[in-house]
Amino acid sequence: MKVVQIKCPRCQQPIYSKVKDRAFYCGHCRTMHIRNGGPNVIDFDIGEFNINAPPDRVYMPFWRLFSTISINRSKVSGGNFHKLGRMIKGDAKGGNLFIYVPAWETDVNEFKHWSMEFTENQPMYSLRPDFNNVERGATSVSKEEAMQMADFVIVTMEAERPGVLQYLDYGLQVHDARLVYLPFVRGTSGLAPGL
Amino acid sequence: MSISVGLNCPACGGAIQISEGENVLSCNYCGSLLWAEGDAGVMTVAFRNVQGRDAVLRATEEWWRKGLKARDLRTKGKLLECYPIYLPFWSTTTRVAGWICGYEERRHTDRNGNTRTERIPKEEMVLHDYRYTNIACDPGDLGIKYLRNMVGEASFADFESIPTFESTTSKDDMVEMSKQNALSDARSDANVPHITFEKVTAIPKHINQIFYPVWVVRYSYGERMYMATVDGVTGQVLSGRAPGDALYQSLAMTGGTSVSGLIAAGSLAIGIGTGEGAVAIIGLVIGAVILGFTYRFFRHGSEMIEGDFDDKRSSNLAKELQKGLKFNLGGFRT
Repeated sequence: MKVVQIKCPRCQQPIYSKVKDRAFYCGHCRTMHIRNGGPNVIDFDIGEFNINAPPDRVYMPFWRLFSTISINRSKVSGGNFHKLGRMIKGDAKGGNLFIYVPAWETDVNEFKHWSMEFTENQPMYSLRPDFNNVERGATSVSKEEAMQMADFVIVTMEAERPGVLQYLDYGLQVHDARLVYLPFVRGTSGLAPGL
Repeated sequence: MSISVGLNCPACGGAIQISEGENVLSCNYCGSLLWAEGDAGVMTVAFRNVQGRDAVLRATEEWWRKGLKARDLRTKGKLLECYPIYLPFWSTTTRVAGWICGYEERRHTDRNGNTRTERIPKEEMVLHDYRYTNIACDPGDLGIKYLRNMVGEASFADFESIPTFESTTSKDDMVEMSKQNALSDARSDANVPHITFEKVTAIPKHINQIFYPVWVVRYSYGERMYMATVDGVTGQVLSGRAPGDALYQSLAMTGGTSVSGLIAAGSLAIGIGTGEGAVAIIGLVIGAVILGFTYRFFRHGSEMIEGDFDDKRSSNLAKELQKGLKFNLGGFRT
């Protein structure tokens, strides 16, 4: 077992942080990289805060999965409302969808809440080039893990609708995963979107 | 539940610690972010042996007094040799996420004896981290297959002086086995009797190789040789074979046959007297079961076995840990 100092693969500057974060951000050249065997530079987005957002701000990481989904058959006991069909960009049976997977360490309810919230109501935000000294949450979910969680998010959305899910025949293909930092505000009841 | 591994920061030389399963850490002295990596993605750690020979022998003698072992084992048992070894284990964490849907059936019988089956739909979310350990070599006759303790100080300092068993099983096999076990445990936890839809994904999160110190104690009793193993970290006896006691065997045989005979005869008499055939049959079955247990103890009571032995005949801890040390972490945050 060996321990190495993490350096930016682009400018070779050491990265300092008190937070154990699996997404390494170089404040010097604004490069983000992850490590899977060796360092891999990744593209990422940073959302702009709403100008009226309260001051206790934080950026939380999400994996945004560009996916194609097709729903072939669904059977629900005691309900007939089709949740997924409303959100897909395409015809009612299939199309493209951004699936948002929280990338920080969450509990189960928080994971369900934010993945469904943003997958169902796709966030609209303008981009900014840096974090503007705003704290950012640590990424603990790897890209591969997030892609494997896509199925869970999709089935959760169907299962959480009224009635008891009994059968779901669908196809899901994840084409791309991008790390997206969305603005949040800390409040007394936890995190709230700062968009 | 973590192993602390003593290492030095490559940037400033300060002491750093990393918990099992983590590979990102921050140096408390210079703030550098650090990345720990093992060979082929497997982190290897070794627990430090903290038990001495005297403590191990005391633990063994204490173990002799417990259970139904020979009463004179403390006086007639002779300790022959006692030495530590390192055994390799795999430790994995597997996340299971998904949904299991289906139904359960409940039967209702009304006053007229008509039976109606009610079908109750169920949808169960599964989102757990499952953790397993398994020995990574042939344990031979040591009676150790799973790692029970995961708390201790890790250090390779004893590697030079303590014989170490090499891994003979593959990492890929362990990952696959963990995935299958995790899926199986998740289905069991979901408890949906009739499954109509299932979408469950098993995601391997960590795999570590852990070298764990175990003391082997060999001793004799009468003409026969026996063995016990003691945890080099906690000092507890992990497994062993010990002579049984003829008196306990005789008492079990006498008591067991008497009790089973009384139950069988009593229920038979009551059953015939009242005309309730079911009472007689139930009594006979209970009597037969007690007799079976009695015979089993009498037949195998000459040797007490504890640990993860394949040919184990006595009840012990291993039964509750059949599938390995399973930590159901109950969610994401642990």
